[in-house]
Amino acid sequence: MRIIARFEKGKAVRFVSHLDIQRTFQRAFRRANIPLAYSQGFNPHPQLSFAAALALGYTSEAEWLDVKLAQAMEPASFQAAANAALPAGFRILEVIEASENAPALTALMEAAEYTIEFQGFNLVSGPKELETAFASMVAGPIFVDKRTKGGIKTVDIRPLLLNYQFSLSADGCPLLTLLGVADAKGSLNIDLLLGALRTFCAETTYTYNVHRKVIYFKSGSPMPALPHK
Amino acid sequence: MDLKLLDSILASVEKPARYMGGELNMTQKCDAELRFALAFPDVYEIGMSHLGSRILYHVLNAREDTICERVFAPWPDMERALRENQIPLFTLETKRSLGTCDIIGFSLLYEMCYTNILTMLDLSGIPLRAKERGDAFPLIVCGGPCACNPEPLAPFVDAFLIGDGEELIGECVDAVLAAKRGGMDKPALLRTLAQIPGIYIPSFYAPKYDAEGHFLELDRVDPNAPQRITRRVLKDLEHAPYIGNPIVPYMPIVHDRIALELFRGCTRGCRFCQAGFIYRPVRERTRETIMEQARALIACTGYDEVSLFSLSSGDYSEIHALIPEILHEFEKKRVSISFPSLRIDSFLKDDLVQMQSVRKAGLTFAPEAGTQRLRDVINKGVQEEDLLRSAKDAFEAGWSSVKLYFMIGLPTETEEDLLGIAELARKVSALFYSMPKEKRGKGLRLSISASSFVPKPFTPFQWEAQDSKETLIEKQKFLRAALKGIRGAEFSYHAPDISVLEGVFARGDRRLADVLENAYHHGARFDSWDEHYKQHAWETAFAEAGVDPAAYAHRQRTPGEPLPWGHIDMLVTEAYLMRELARANAAITTKDCRAGCNGCFGEKYADYCKV
Repeated sequence: MRIIARFEKGKAVRFVSHLDIQRTFQRAFRRANIPLAYSQGFNPHPQLSFAAALALGYTSEAEWLDVKLAQAMEPASFQAAANAALPAGFRILEVIEASENAPALTALMEAAEYTIEFQGFNLVSGPKELETAFASMVAGPIFVDKRTKGGIKTVDIRPLLLNYQFSLSADGCPLLTLLGVADAKGSLNIDLLLGALRTFCAETTYTYNVHRKVIYFKSGSPMPALPHK
Repeated sequence: MDLKLLDSILASVEKPARYMGGELNMTQKCDAELRFALAFPDVYEIGMSHLGSRILYHVLNAREDTICERVFAPWPDMERALRENQIPLFTLETKRSLGTCDIIGFSLLYEMCYTNILTMLDLSGIPLRAKERGDAFPLIVCGGPCACNPEPLAPFVDAFLIGDGEELIGECVDAVLAAKRGGMDKPALLRTLAQIPGIYIPSFYAPKYDAEGHFLELDRVDPNAPQRITRRVLKDLEHAPYIGNPIVPYMPIVHDRIALELFRGCTRGCRFCQAGFIYRPVRERTRETIMEQARALIACTGYDEVSLFSLSSGDYSEIHALIPEILHEFEKKRVSISFPSLRIDSFLKDDLVQMQSVRKAGLTFAPEAGTQRLRDVINKGVQEEDLLRSAKDAFEAGWSSVKLYFMIGLPTETEEDLLGIAELARKVSALFYSMPKEKRGKGLRLSISASSFVPKPFTPFQWEAQDSKETLIEKQKFLRAALKGIRGAEFSYHAPDISVLEGVFARGDRRLADVLENAYHHGARFDSWDEHYKQHAWETAFAEAGVDPAAYAHRQRTPGEPLPWGHIDMLVTEAYLMRELARANAAITTKDCRAGCNGCFGEKYADYCKV
């Protein structure tokens, strides 16, 4: 049986790395006596994969995992058992029974939506300044230095930014919602984008918290899809 | 603690999970009458792998009146960030600064972590020297194997706990609680602690040296302090508390698996091995208890690997029943077994075949020396045939990755002994390649590791001179050349500077405290890590203190001369160690004491041991 589940990565565990999350879920499933299916071969390992790595320090309510079970299980009891075993900060929010031959999550991903809360601004003039700076940045190409296997490369990440909107948080801090490309070919790197923003901004000592809100998949899958292109 | 600031710092340092806390099974207390900071003077990945700390964490938190929280040495990037932001070092559980705790307890596992202790005190705003700390500062205690020679750390520490921690820690905490309730000042508390067997209060003693600077004796400044401090022994391991529901780290740690402690102590009597002498006698847990612990630990952690953890796990009296029982019971859960210590004379073929039915990890053997003569000198009672037979068993069972541990610089070592290491490696390699292709694994990975021998207190070699750095380098070169051309073999060795420094501190006296503090001020940190070790800082530190390291490391001592650790009684008598030294020099082995008592405790403590 194949299960696809959406989970939350909360504030308490925002510094847990992607590899550590894999181990965390494996161990939680073992504690919960969830019957994991193992790969064949010399060094069998549980068949468990994840949609997209989240940068260290971000929180999310849109992490997706894909796991194969050796025996069928009610999705609801899977969710209950896993949540009882997961450490505080991780929680499964939604469970989907997937067909065995559906493509891998990474192959289906299209875009991701983030909310970014900025701190360290003058609350009166800051939000407006930030919005203006952001607008002037996105008016043209955004060149950033990207670390690749072949060394540092300068690339334009503007095409990866699909949409954005500014608002205010409950405390009056600037809140940016943005939609970026997230597919097998490349994803919008939020830290690179916001790093570039500093050169457009008078105020540079601000900090921000990034939260992944949604991952959009190709239409036709049981997961969320972009409403329109 | 400003949690927002901490968050931004964590976002900027390497491996923030080291400082994050919040792992599964972490103790969830807010506060208690007594706050105990369990400090490990190395980085999280190392400290979390230390079984003793896991036991103490459980034992202390089981008390309602106590909250025990962890703290590790911050990596240099985190140290910098803490200093820049003026944040005191904090515990992982409640992010409380160490200065607000009642007791800070350091585990001393190896000498090369000592500078990290100073870092941790300094980052907490706590004066380094005990005499500069008034009542407002926490009590600084140390325990663990290196506490058996406490002198190099003596001026920094209020109390040393000698022996099994779970036996002693409760009495220490009781005394501190009573002092707190009764409004007792620190000198009075120290006087109370000094009356608890196994607790050493260094400020109650002062060392004397002769005109040439040789250590003479330790004078008692406080007449009520005991003349000798006798190590505490947990007699009943079977019924002792273990690790409860242990914390499961998010990030990978060095020993990232369940540790099942089969027994404490070792009966072999390898003459270089400090642990083999200071943890005597052997105390076993029954197979039933170990299985019960395994069940509970697998259920509460989700680990898929258990490690049979002891000084020589193959010697466990029920080993051949235990391995199949674990594998059988947890087969469905795909639990594999690993051995941190495997003696090559343990007859393990059937167990090996069974163990690899789950997963293959590398196998490690420790012949320690290259010739039978030298193995007899060090009382490593294994024969070449044992190694070759075990290697053959392992290869036939499908293993192709084998590590061989050796030491160089052992007493009486000659070129022939070094050549013997290469010879042994060559035979193991030939054995692998002489097997039919279809019967052996793919390619042989034969790791030959040669560490440098460091003479340690409470071993028969405690009087021996350690090889100089130059000699060690020469021997490493010689060995590297001798190992050339052996198929599948890789050679690794230790930095000789660090081994010599370890030798200095292992047998050091109180004058080394100045050296340590100087080195700390010159930037020495994480000295056991090659990438952090600063030779220059140490050279300057010795010169400034006017201390000659060679006088500690390379001087041949005379059996019977006063030793700086002579006031610590680890139960094994000095007379026994001298006898063992004489036998070593004559290359005569001493039998495993499971085969009959060798009298190491003498008459005074003979009843401590019931092997």
